[in-house]
Amino acid sequence: MFGSKIKIEKELLSKATQYAEKSGYSSVDEFISHLIEKEISRQDESLSEDKVKKRLQGLGYLS
Amino acid sequence: MKRLLKVFRKKNHSRDITIVSGLPRSGTSMMMKMLEAGGLLPLTDNLRTADDDNPKGYYEFERVKKLVDGDNSWLAEAEGKVVKVISALLLYLPPAYTYRIIFMKRSMPEILASQKKMLVRRKEDADDTSDEEMAGLYMEHLQQVDAWVNSQPNIMRLDINFNELLEDPKPHIEMINKFLDGILDSEKAEAVIDPKLYRQRKK
Repeated sequence: MFGSKIKIEKELLSKATQYAEKSGYSSVDEFISHLIEKEISRQDESLSEDKVKKRLQGLGYLS
Repeated sequence: MKRLLKVFRKKNHSRDITIVSGLPRSGTSMMMKMLEAGGLLPLTDNLRTADDDNPKGYYEFERVKKLVDGDNSWLAEAEGKVVKVISALLLYLPPAYTYRIIFMKRSMPEILASQKKMLVRRKEDADDTSDEEMAGLYMEHLQQVDAWVNSQPNIMRLDINFNELLEDPKPHIEMINKFLDGILDSEKAEAVIDPKLYRQRKK
């Protein structure tokens, strides 16, 4: 693909390549993109939960 | 005969925990008051007393908030009674009991407007989340809660729309009474509904 490049340590790249192959990803790029997407989604979710929690605490319904 | 049937149903229902749930400001306190008037025993500690936001009282039990920390031993006291548990805490209910949840729904703009007023009265810093974003977050939250509740074999649920309940109480109270195996005194429950308290209505 023609996306931007990112730097990654050789040893880590080698491990990631092996893992990507073993897990059935078509390439290491696809594997790493998937991991990044998953982490961003996890953080978004946690941010949403924090906002709901903050509101409920403000209203006195959560301690 | 009718009286005997009512006693039998009361016995049958005696170990279930009735829960009134929903988002804060969705009509949960009014439902608690209706159920109390209709003959159910509420589990409350009266620590949060009536104020401008809830002139007829909150009907809360402080230890409910401790469900998050695993404190659920108080649920034994709730058997055969009704207790208010906001939607965010339902997921912490242990599977050891049988619950009948009356889940209050209300128009989101009304909930948000009422919550904002309450935050101001409580002198809480208004959070910087816009109504639009908060509505989205709550919808997502409610979807998660719905999925969890619907997958629990020990939970029965009845959704009651607060707006529709105020518009036309009788059929809704009938549904509630059926859900509770007919133990409710419907007339007394209906007498509690006070449209004057319906202050955040959006036309």
